[in-house]
Amino acid sequence: MKDTTLNEIKESFSFILPLVLFTAVFIIVPVIWAMFSSVFRDITFLDKKFIFLGNYKYLLADPGFWQALRFTFCFTLVSVPLEIAFGLVFALVLNEKIPFRGLLRACVLIPWAIPAAISARAWELIYNYNYGLANFLCMKLGVCDAPINWLGTNLGAFMSLIAADTWKTAPFAAIIILAGLQAIPEDLYLQAQVDRAGFFQRFYKITLPLLKPVLVVTLLFRTIDSLRVFDLIYVLTHGGPGGNTTSLSLYGYKYFLMGDFGYGSAVSVVLFIIAFVLAVVYVKVGNFSRGIRI
Amino acid sequence: MPEKYLKPSLIAVSALFMLVFSLVPFIFMVCTSFSKSPDYLMAGNTFRFTLDNYHAVAATKSLHFAEYLRNSLLVSAASAFFCVLIASLAAYSITRLALPGKVFILFFILAASMFPQISMVSYLFKFMTSLGLINTYGALVLPYIAWILPLSLWILVSYFSQIPQELDKAGLVDGCSRWKILYKIIFPVAAPGILSTGLLAFIFAFNEFMFALILTTDQASRTMPVGIALFQGLHGEIPWGNIMAASTFTVIPIVILTVIFQRHIIQGLTSGAVKG
Repeated sequence: MKDTTLNEIKESFSFILPLVLFTAVFIIVPVIWAMFSSVFRDITFLDKKFIFLGNYKYLLADPGFWQALRFTFCFTLVSVPLEIAFGLVFALVLNEKIPFRGLLRACVLIPWAIPAAISARAWELIYNYNYGLANFLCMKLGVCDAPINWLGTNLGAFMSLIAADTWKTAPFAAIIILAGLQAIPEDLYLQAQVDRAGFFQRFYKITLPLLKPVLVVTLLFRTIDSLRVFDLIYVLTHGGPGGNTTSLSLYGYKYFLMGDFGYGSAVSVVLFIIAFVLAVVYVKVGNFSRGIRI
Repeated sequence: MPEKYLKPSLIAVSALFMLVFSLVPFIFMVCTSFSKSPDYLMAGNTFRFTLDNYHAVAATKSLHFAEYLRNSLLVSAASAFFCVLIASLAAYSITRLALPGKVFILFFILAASMFPQISMVSYLFKFMTSLGLINTYGALVLPYIAWILPLSLWILVSYFSQIPQELDKAGLVDGCSRWKILYKIIFPVAAPGILSTGLLAFIFAFNEFMFALILTTDQASRTMPVGIALFQGLHGEIPWGNIMAASTFTVIPIVILTVIFQRHIIQGLTSGAVKG
């Protein structure tokens, strides 16, 4: 038992106070206010009126909301496994003793480090119908005979977003998985080599099982992040064509933009609840306290 | 094929793919920024080198490029500085002092970093409007600090917890205050951790989009990502050359920072974001 004085407790409070204050004022209060706001008719230039679950009733009957929810889930369901798969391959490569490993790591980090809104603009040009790189490569490699309307069709826009998002986020997955790989004791592989286990066998029998906790945590983290997707879609498709790539964040944003804060808040609260549940699972599963002595 | 050759060739192919995959969009951005017109990939067209795009972006006042850059740099630097300061105070309290409920705070903050930004922006917009802060640096720096605190706190807690408590005790015996111990003993010892945290906080603030989009309403106060996302030509047609020049100019310093501090960034990300 440490001998603690009242003084030390007081001191500890004063050290943590700024953090608590900032988090309360700029994170917690805004979220609670959104919940509060979602039970009002809160539209610019109209009287504020308490309507209890009125916004949520409207939400359930709103095809635009269901479309956004469906798109957000589809986007996450396709993009996250792809990112993890790419991340895993990258991590396996970066874990090998290869020449220029440091430089290679830095290169992989570049998509992560560039602001999403800026790289999305480059992707917009890549997907350009007439002179974009995507159509140029597809035609040159003989993938297709005629240029593809990437951003103007439902499937094209969806695939474009998935590719751009995978490019942007696979590096992060790779870095986290790499840390997991480095934590696997070398002796296990040496033992396996003695036992004449093959390359793929070693991967399935040793690497994958030991990596599972890291993969689960990465998966959860990326899922939560992917459900909130906004920047990329805002720039690349602006939710189009015909609202078919509107994510929940973008859908809520569009209502805020129209001045309907009550309904926009209701949309954001739905997203918050989904994210919150997953965040609790993430914190529980993550085993984060390991390695930190406090 | 015997395994002796299989593994190296698999690695080589994957490494090559990884390099191409990561760099191609970036290279395309840079190439277009130096091209007279963006349609150099069309059949019959050729690439003609020019610096006009850079010149246009730097010299045309109505494009506000210089303002975007200044806003982004100042906002990100201020956010990173205050974030590291506040997070290190908190990390000190959590790792070294008898703070009641420290575990709860640590995990609550982690969960808070998962909240969607969209559920905060309507309040932040009204709050900043009522304070008259819209279009000022304050409107961005204050929420940015809160937004980046979780990551910073986690990185610093993991660094601080590796520093032996005996150092503090020695300081206390010498009659130092806790603040002085943090400032004179912990900061120098944890310098690499502070550097990682500051760097990551800067990158996160620099890349932030939604708050900046909503909490700034006039052109001159936008940050770089918002400015480039909303970049309009003066005459209707999308000025791809200008956009890519502005993007390249913004991204090159980040790329250089990333290459130089690659080790710090990776260390920070793995100790801060996720632990297996």
